[in-house]
Amino acid sequence: MAEEKKLLKVTIDNITIEVEPGTSILQAARRIGGDVAPPAMCYYTKLKGSGGKCRTCLVEVAAGSVADPRPMPKLVASCRTNVMDGMVVKNITSEKVIDARNGVVEFLLINHPLDCPICDQAGECHLQDLSYEHGKEGTRYEFPRRTFEKHDLGPYIQLHMTRCIMCFRCVYAADQLTEKRQHGILDRGDHAEIATYIQQSLEHDFIGNVIDVCPVGALTDKTFRFKNRVWFLKPVQAHRDCTHPKCCGKVTLWYRGEEVFRVTARKDQWGEVEDWICNECRFEKKKTADWEIEGPTVVNRHSVISQGHYVGVHKPKEVLYDVLDGLKPRLFMDIHSVSEVNEPGRDLSRIEGPAHSTDFKE
Amino acid sequence: MSIKLLLEKANVPGIISYEVYRREGGYASVEKALRNMTPDQVTDEVKKSGLRGRGGAGFPTGLKWSFLAKPDGVPRHLVCNADESEPGTFKDRYLMEFLPHLLIEGLIVSSFALGSHHTYIYIRGEYAWIPDILEKAIAEAKENGWLGKNILGTGFDCEIYVHRGAGAYICGEETALIESLEGKRGNPRIKPPFPAIKGVWDRPTVVNNVESLAAVVPIINYGAEAYAKIGIGKSTGTKLISACGNINKPGVYEIDMTISVEDFIYSDEYCGGIAHGKKLKACIPGGSSVPILPANLLLKTAKGEKRLMNYESLADGGFATGSSMGSGGFIVLDEDQCVVKHTMTLSRFYRHESCGQCSPCREGTGWMEKILKNIEYGKGKMSDIDLLWDIQRRIEGNTICPLGDAAAWPVAAAIRHFRDEFEWHIRYPEEAQQRNFGLAHYADPLPAPQSA
Repeated sequence: MAEEKKLLKVTIDNITIEVEPGTSILQAARRIGGDVAPPAMCYYTKLKGSGGKCRTCLVEVAAGSVADPRPMPKLVASCRTNVMDGMVVKNITSEKVIDARNGVVEFLLINHPLDCPICDQAGECHLQDLSYEHGKEGTRYEFPRRTFEKHDLGPYIQLHMTRCIMCFRCVYAADQLTEKRQHGILDRGDHAEIATYIQQSLEHDFIGNVIDVCPVGALTDKTFRFKNRVWFLKPVQAHRDCTHPKCCGKVTLWYRGEEVFRVTARKDQWGEVEDWICNECRFEKKKTADWEIEGPTVVNRHSVISQGHYVGVHKPKEVLYDVLDGLKPRLFMDIHSVSEVNEPGRDLSRIEGPAHSTDFKE
Repeated sequence: MSIKLLLEKANVPGIISYEVYRREGGYASVEKALRNMTPDQVTDEVKKSGLRGRGGAGFPTGLKWSFLAKPDGVPRHLVCNADESEPGTFKDRYLMEFLPHLLIEGLIVSSFALGSHHTYIYIRGEYAWIPDILEKAIAEAKENGWLGKNILGTGFDCEIYVHRGAGAYICGEETALIESLEGKRGNPRIKPPFPAIKGVWDRPTVVNNVESLAAVVPIINYGAEAYAKIGIGKSTGTKLISACGNINKPGVYEIDMTISVEDFIYSDEYCGGIAHGKKLKACIPGGSSVPILPANLLLKTAKGEKRLMNYESLADGGFATGSSMGSGGFIVLDEDQCVVKHTMTLSRFYRHESCGQCSPCREGTGWMEKILKNIEYGKGKMSDIDLLWDIQRRIEGNTICPLGDAAAWPVAAAIRHFRDEFEWHIRYPEEAQQRNFGLAHYADPLPAPQSA
């Protein structure tokens, strides 16, 4: 008989859920879903070792476990703290958490250029979402924002270091997906930057995935750069038989009209990729003929990308006919045959052409 | 004269060499521990001595040792944290430079207690000349059979390696030190797991300060009871204080923790009073990260009692009216020093040394420095003070490692105790460029505490 795994009971924002041992608070909260799930800028389920850095997912642990019900003295990073049996976690029900999170968002934004209008990530940017939820309208930061020397990472990937929030995701991705990482963090503190040590391009057939894991617009697709806004594009699920042994070949194509503007890996509801794709699929296959189309991607209705309303849209019924009792509405232009505004006596229908001020002065 | 345990022989000529050190009774503790005691007995002895970590946090060393996981077949390591980078602290440098064999002796005994066959000394990069001294001492110890295979015929093997850092304050944090020792970028790890379970190369590891490990020698030599008798309460034994700033006799002093702060500053045995006959304005009693205290709160606690140089008394009153023993970097400021400028300098340090891993510390330290620079150079606004307070409040406790706290506390304490100096800087920006705020009321006697 297989030994039954003991499930752990955890209460997050007064909702109790049972999870397997070894689950992090963040994953348990995502199981519940909705507002209870803390935002995560640096944690990435698929990347081992990621998380704990951005501090946006801080939560309060009001009771550690059944065995030790003391509260934890500090807020903890939910992405790297495992659930204990009987743990009581407060996320949005804790004022301390909200305050700390607002502080973290402010810290993340003080040196962010906020160039969303020209940023390719706008519309699918996690920092944008986060600042809408937790940010303020104004900033208290009155100093010039940090800038960096530009690094060229080759023909595919564009690096905008000013937008980087130092989540380390791309470093973990390159470490875990490619054989030889060519980029990393140089320097430290507020002058730390993502770069290759001596200007060189990132060349590996899986390196394109760093674009997908980047939560902001620091790493963007050069083949898509300035071509379109993401919310004008229609995401469509497609696949092909990729010859690369590690590539799953399952992607999202981003169409506008007949044209494929970009190819990305498929992302789940938390913005994390489902499976990695190779550079060939991402950068080279931009024709419909290359792909077998599966159907439109389901987009979260809160996402700005859903404003395209191109699939399963329920159009409201036209009610005017009902209101008019079967009568056809007349053209509104016909309503005013006589102007009541200027000179009621003047019959506009007798004037040739559009009415002019001189017509009323006569 | 107070009792000296660590620096007892510091003035013996040639103590840096093995022959003199041995002649003066060195390595007796290794003989005693390896021949007559089991590793657990050594750990128990350290536990009983009440020795608290001398690196800054003051965590009981014996307790830390007892947390070390001991799975079968997995090597364990002892790492000596010699990355002493706290501004104001230079006690470990003194120990390593002048008494290298004391540290080696302590390391051998501690390695024996913990079962570490490969022990590392992680030394800060700026101490460029000290690794040579330590390596010479290690070579001498090895020549004379105190290191290597089968030490003293007991079957215990131990090697000590000196590893030089590349010059980063953050590598004094134990998990960052471990990362750096492994050859990686010195970023603190997220705890748990703690180093006692997964440290260097995922093996159980104990990281201890130089002074803590050196203190193991007198504990073994004189016994835990004798060691615990020195000092008061939970502050047992002796502590090295590196005194600096506006005092007549800066240097490293060994104190037993019964002396009052006032005696320490003014007695001729120690600091010898404030230099040039000036008055005491403020003091940071435990290295740059601990809260700064104005003269009146430094010498007496809020309850009106005399403040003593020990863990409990310095921390009396919490952070509202107290400070902390920290790592023993005693920085004295006289009446001519400007607390705003001083705080700005510390902020610049923390901005420069933040590893950049977590957002509050990476962004917050730079922001605080910029605001403080504005205030210092006459461009500040009244709202900046509250903004500073808000920034430090949001850094503190929300970061992976204590560097965030260490950056926030000095700013918080400076505003808490010296707010009027900050306000004066903002209200009279031109005058503030010409002269200092001076002593003002910071040495005035405190109002008597009200009894209920």
